[in-house]
Amino acid sequence: MALPIMKNYINGEWVESNGSQIGNIKNPATAEQIAQVVFGTADDVEKAVQAAQKAFVQWRETPPLTRARYLFRIKDALEENFEDIARTLTMEQGKIIDEARAEIRRMIENVEHATGVTTLMCGYTLEDIAKGIDCTGHRQPMGVFAGVAPYNFPGMVPWWFLPYAIVTGNTYVLKPSEQVPMTQTRIFECLDEVGLPDGVVNMVHGSKDVVNAILDHRDIQGVSFVGSTPTARYIYKRCGETGKRVQALGGAKNIVGIMPDAKLNEALPSLVTSFFGCSGQRCLAGSILAPVGDAADLVVDRFVATAKNIKVGDGLSDFTGMGPMASSAHLDRVLGYIEKGIKEGATLVLDGRDCKVEGYPEGYFVGPTIFDNVTPEMTIAKEEIFGPVVCVVRCKTLDEVIKLINTRDFANAACLYTDSGTAARKFKYKVLPSMVGINIGIAAPMSFFPFGGAGNSMFGDIKGHGQEIFHFFTDTKVVIERWF
Amino acid sequence: MPIINFGGLLNFAEAMEKQDMEFYLSIASNPEMSDLSDLFQGFAKDGKKNIAHIQRTRRENITEMILEGITGFFRKPFVLEVKDDKEMGRAQILKYVDKMEARAIAYYTEGAEKIKALPEVSMALKVAGKKRMAHTQKLSGS
Repeated sequence: MALPIMKNYINGEWVESNGSQIGNIKNPATAEQIAQVVFGTADDVEKAVQAAQKAFVQWRETPPLTRARYLFRIKDALEENFEDIARTLTMEQGKIIDEARAEIRRMIENVEHATGVTTLMCGYTLEDIAKGIDCTGHRQPMGVFAGVAPYNFPGMVPWWFLPYAIVTGNTYVLKPSEQVPMTQTRIFECLDEVGLPDGVVNMVHGSKDVVNAILDHRDIQGVSFVGSTPTARYIYKRCGETGKRVQALGGAKNIVGIMPDAKLNEALPSLVTSFFGCSGQRCLAGSILAPVGDAADLVVDRFVATAKNIKVGDGLSDFTGMGPMASSAHLDRVLGYIEKGIKEGATLVLDGRDCKVEGYPEGYFVGPTIFDNVTPEMTIAKEEIFGPVVCVVRCKTLDEVIKLINTRDFANAACLYTDSGTAARKFKYKVLPSMVGINIGIAAPMSFFPFGGAGNSMFGDIKGHGQEIFHFFTDTKVVIERWF
Repeated sequence: MPIINFGGLLNFAEAMEKQDMEFYLSIASNPEMSDLSDLFQGFAKDGKKNIAHIQRTRRENITEMILEGITGFFRKPFVLEVKDDKEMGRAQILKYVDKMEARAIAYYTEGAEKIKALPEVSMALKVAGKKRMAHTQKLSGS
């Protein structure tokens, strides 16, 4: 049977790319090829931007409430196809089906939040800024925006931006990850049914050529990106050179501190989810476990015992607790970090390297892996591994945990488990990362709060979703008025 | 096999409701049970409603913050062999119906307890269980 080929969606039509490079999409649990994608070209981007430019003329004049009504319809279509989208996501990305469902839920929550446009897009007015002169700030859409999405959240991440861009009157060009293009293709099939005006949303599959074409395009007003730090930095720089707005979210090295007074029984399930959820392939995943003081032995023992029980396997099974790595290349990368940890002298207390899953001999599996006695200078304590590999760095005090956090190259998220309000306050006050969890292992802001880190984890000043995103997608035009 | 997570718990409930609904639809048209046809049609309709309710609960109440595992909850006590009513007599059918209702009530009761950290989900299971409790009352009154 012929494999499905992912097409571009331009001006309300499914169109084939004129590109010659083809990507093979594999199910990470089986390594079986399930689809193909033709990588788009600068010419495809040009067509998409032209369609979006043309659509912008009428779309910006469409009343915000009418635009919001399209989002209500999109929400209905996504709810209706919820299970199918979630299953597609698991098949191409590997995460377990509950995680895929959670991702689609988060995606829909952004659509829901964006429907608040009639409040959140309002400008402001002040009468008599001078005698008889009034001043009004109007929020206006700007034109065509673009998004470049990562492979770890192929459903949700593009929707941290897209619904806000279009509800504020802009039009959009999305490039999904070339590694996992099926989920957004399925989602765009839902959009197609909703009947948005042609050209309001467009999708071009592809790799670096498509990204560069987006970054260089004179008619694209702004770019949203989520991915690795080197690419985020590159995108930020290129957007600066071409005068675009940019929000570029990069990598992470998140630390979870455990104080001796933490309620370990209650904390353990969420701790384990923090480190091993989505097989560690998320920017909010815990990476370093930092138990404080005398409790460290108990914390490590119980954490290891719980991690050992996680069943690794195909994400589509109800009995699986952790899915595979998203690709064989990424599996090699994670295994490489485990080797590095061993070479640098960390103590491997749980080894996930030889992870065999019955019936899935070719899957990209790595089991829960835990290193104890990791020091802050080791590579595994500094670089983003993006896998189910935990580095235990034992700390004597809370100050030591805070220092550890604030001396990493990243500043995405940090969490603390404690029963002390004083310790919690000090922690949230002093740590640099801008997503903080207290007795929460995954400090994931919901759609109505901003998502994004600080330092090398985020380039730009307006983060994903939240209220501020309405600023990213609008220009405040100030009108100063006097009538004689 | 243990039920280890949110999805597993709701998936089992959905499968159970589907199995029961199909049986009720079948016995509603069984000449042997013609006097109870309306009752079983009603039970099948309740099953359809419970399935929609469970699916909506699964869609609307999941976030990555609550993907923490469930422990000590096993499928085995709730697995019921699929039966063909055409090969059963009236008494056997009624006995099987009682079994179906009893296992559904037990599943929803235990499931609601296991997932009580998520009150909306726990409540949804209790609501589904209530429907099944009403079935047993109707059966004893019929």
